[in-house]
Amino acid sequence: MQFRLKQRSVLPGFNLALGYTLLYMSLIVLIPLSAAFIKTADLTWTEFWAVVTTPRVLASYRLTFGASLIAALINVSAGLVIAWVLVRYSFPGKRLVDAMVDLPFALPTAVAGIALTALYASNGWIGSVLALIGIKVAFTPLGVVVALVFISLPFVIRTVQPVLEDLEAEVEEAAACLGATRWQTFRWIIFPAVRPALLTGFTLAFARCIGEYGSVIFIAGNLPMVSEITPLLIVTKLEQYDYRGATAIAVVMLVISFLLLLLINLLQWWSRQRHAI
Amino acid sequence: MSIAIRALIKRFGHFTALAGINLDIQTGELVALLGPSGCGKTTLLRIIAGLENADSGAIQFDGQEAGHRHVRDRNVGFVFQHYALFQHMTVFENIAFGLRVRPRARRLGEIQIRAKVQELLSLIQLEWLAGRYPSQLSGGQRQRIALARALAVEPQVLLLDEPFGALDTKVRKELRRWLRRLHDELHMTSVFVTHDQEEALEVADRIVVMNHGQIEQIGSPQEVYDTPATPFVYQFLGHINLFKGRAHAGWVRLGGLRVPAPEYQNAKHTPAMAYVRPHDIDLLREPEDGDTTLAATVSRVSILGSLVRLELLQQSDGEIAEVEMTRERYATDPLQPGDAVFVKPRQLRIFLRDDSIDYPPVYWNGGGI
Amino acid sequence: MLVSPIQRAITEPPIVRRLLIGLTLGFLTLFLFLPLAAVFYEALRKGLGVYFAALVDPDAAAAIRLTLLCAMIAVPLNLVFGIAAAWAIAKFEFHGKSVLITLIDLPFAVSPVIAGLIYVLMFGAQGWLGPWLAAHDIKILFAVPGIVLATVFVTFPFIARELIPLMQEQGIEEEEAALVLGASGWQTFWRITLPNIKWGLLYGVVLCTARAMGEFGAVSVVSGHIRGATNTLPLQVEILYNEYQFAAAFAVASLLTVLALVMLAVKALIEWQAHQTRRAALAAKGETEG
Repeated sequence: MQFRLKQRSVLPGFNLALGYTLLYMSLIVLIPLSAAFIKTADLTWTEFWAVVTTPRVLASYRLTFGASLIAALINVSAGLVIAWVLVRYSFPGKRLVDAMVDLPFALPTAVAGIALTALYASNGWIGSVLALIGIKVAFTPLGVVVALVFISLPFVIRTVQPVLEDLEAEVEEAAACLGATRWQTFRWIIFPAVRPALLTGFTLAFARCIGEYGSVIFIAGNLPMVSEITPLLIVTKLEQYDYRGATAIAVVMLVISFLLLLLINLLQWWSRQRHAI
Repeated sequence: MSIAIRALIKRFGHFTALAGINLDIQTGELVALLGPSGCGKTTLLRIIAGLENADSGAIQFDGQEAGHRHVRDRNVGFVFQHYALFQHMTVFENIAFGLRVRPRARRLGEIQIRAKVQELLSLIQLEWLAGRYPSQLSGGQRQRIALARALAVEPQVLLLDEPFGALDTKVRKELRRWLRRLHDELHMTSVFVTHDQEEALEVADRIVVMNHGQIEQIGSPQEVYDTPATPFVYQFLGHINLFKGRAHAGWVRLGGLRVPAPEYQNAKHTPAMAYVRPHDIDLLREPEDGDTTLAATVSRVSILGSLVRLELLQQSDGEIAEVEMTRERYATDPLQPGDAVFVKPRQLRIFLRDDSIDYPPVYWNGGGI
Repeated sequence: MLVSPIQRAITEPPIVRRLLIGLTLGFLTLFLFLPLAAVFYEALRKGLGVYFAALVDPDAAAAIRLTLLCAMIAVPLNLVFGIAAAWAIAKFEFHGKSVLITLIDLPFAVSPVIAGLIYVLMFGAQGWLGPWLAAHDIKILFAVPGIVLATVFVTFPFIARELIPLMQEQGIEEEEAALVLGASGWQTFWRITLPNIKWGLLYGVVLCTARAMGEFGAVSVVSGHIRGATNTLPLQVEILYNEYQFAAAFAVASLLTVLALVMLAVKALIEWQAHQTRRAALAAKGETEG
């Protein structure tokens, strides 16, 4: 990779700034990350495959990806409604609500974990109500979903919100003048406009969910084969000094994360292309 | 300070912004770089300032090579298209900036800086805005502050990028006159970029017409308007009518019109284009003898204040032609849509379209048939 | 307020509006406001005495000190990086720019647990540098340097991500103007660029600080959980919770929650401030032009 200026510029400091950026990024991010891949090379392909496909690991993938998918889908629908309400309607306390949406970004995951556990445990405010109808949340896979919904809540809202704000009222007025009902306008005009943002928000939320650790371990119960997420499995293996096993699973997660990052970039590039008409 | 530019070339990737520019600007002149967007005029201005580097060619200030000098050391004043005022500084601090960042040895004392800024504020007649921030000013005020800021460092040359581009029509007219007056007072070598021909014609001493990275013509406003050197300059400055025809053996035939062109003695049925300004046309009710008129029909009459504009359909090819005349003149014979008329150009300019031979343009002022 | 027919044409019936607002508030209460309230409720349930006792406990005090120390090292490091990266990316056109932006985002895509793991692989006893470090008696893993490194990794993109779009939007005209007026590169940076990005910078720093102090997964992997020595605040919360000292755990958690709320307030303040400046500017323009 060669980072070269396209045009000479009168502004100074390009070489210094870029050089420092690359050096710092290599030391903090790139070299340590490559350590994971190089460590995995100790294993043969068969060994690697065996480590990352044991039943316990497979069960953790199912839980991690399944719960992440459900949480991201919940946040897509709830996020669209919330973004819509925050952009279009006014109600008392709206500014406060809008500011609070970022709380999951700001709140340490461990705090979120114990707070949600306290709430959804069978003696908690919400858990006790749900217990009456026989639903158990804390210490079950359902608890994992709840934690993941919390930590990925802002992504869809914050990607959809600006798009809704930029939507020109004239377009909707034109649709109304042409005889469209409010629902038709939403279905055919507004929804297609926010769809790329929804998709980006979904991918961001999903990517965040699959890596999440802090909030989940408190509420999940962490039963092997049932409510044990993949990141926890990595930690468990590390604590047993099984560095190879931990690294192998980490590499699987990393590859999936990088693919998602690539997908997010493609989605954003795609929506920029569509908007740059 | 005089500026000399020699064989300047600048490319952006595969796009050639400047394709060999040669230009001399005399001390104290006010020069306009005029052309459509993308013609390279702003790039040329930025290279003179040192904000951009040329790929090859030379720039001299007062005969001294300046191409290698850093923008900081060129001592130019530059007024940006969107002014680039420092948003977080007051008007006063904006103007004082150039004085405050001087190396310690050359820096003025605080009292002198204050005096200098006050002097500039009174020059632009905006003393009362010293404490305001740029976001609190109107477009015209920002423009004048940007100019005062550029003048504060006592530059040898003033460069302005589309100085009136972002203003509304009324403010633009006022500022144009003001800039011209200011230049007459200061006599500083000044170059400004514009795509507005009216602006260039009104303000500049000399106009440099550019297109596709090349200079089409350099001349006084009168020269470029009255005797355009190329079809491009004709089309770009003022309204024109285009008549198509052919040149053959010393004559050019344009529909029913025959124009002598001894320069084209050797032309053989070469396609020719004749350019006529709308106000250089007489309209007759009857044809003249000797093929000096074109038949047409009036299709539309518009009264534009003191002028009357008539739209004509040419009989030969159905193309539209425009004629302008004063209202007094129109009152002597008020033509109506549908009237048949005969077009008699008072003067026109002919360019031959033949890529193989380089014909000079022929200028004809109606006589000699 | 007057509602013109056209405005009514593009809004929903009141019943739909109320339903959607109700859904929003219901969902946010369930997933946002109740957890927030639960933190303070559980923290104060046993009374103020227990609350403050938990905060002045020597282990908790040590955790606070370590957390502050980590943030004080990690944030300035990422601040310098963020400014350098944003300067290069926003002010210059170069090949490979989009690759660089993606690389900066990389830590966002990495699970915090894996962020901790890679430092274990680097500095652990069986890691690349482990034997060398052991020979020279330098402790990185299960010690403060490791915790700082993991924190730096996790908060690596925050300030850069805040500054890049801001500086891209501002363009380079003001910097060019300063250079034409004779300013040097440093003068241009300190007097023009930095004042223009100060609010974005402040928000980036606050965000980075909050995340640095709250990081759990990555720090948990590299810390070794040595009480009073390598426990940060979030780790202290975990230990207390696992020991069934719920009130104490939530008391420490409430400190971190307050920090998060401060961060949200700063963000709201900055947005409000930008909004006010824009409004004032519009009003002043109307006045001078009218």
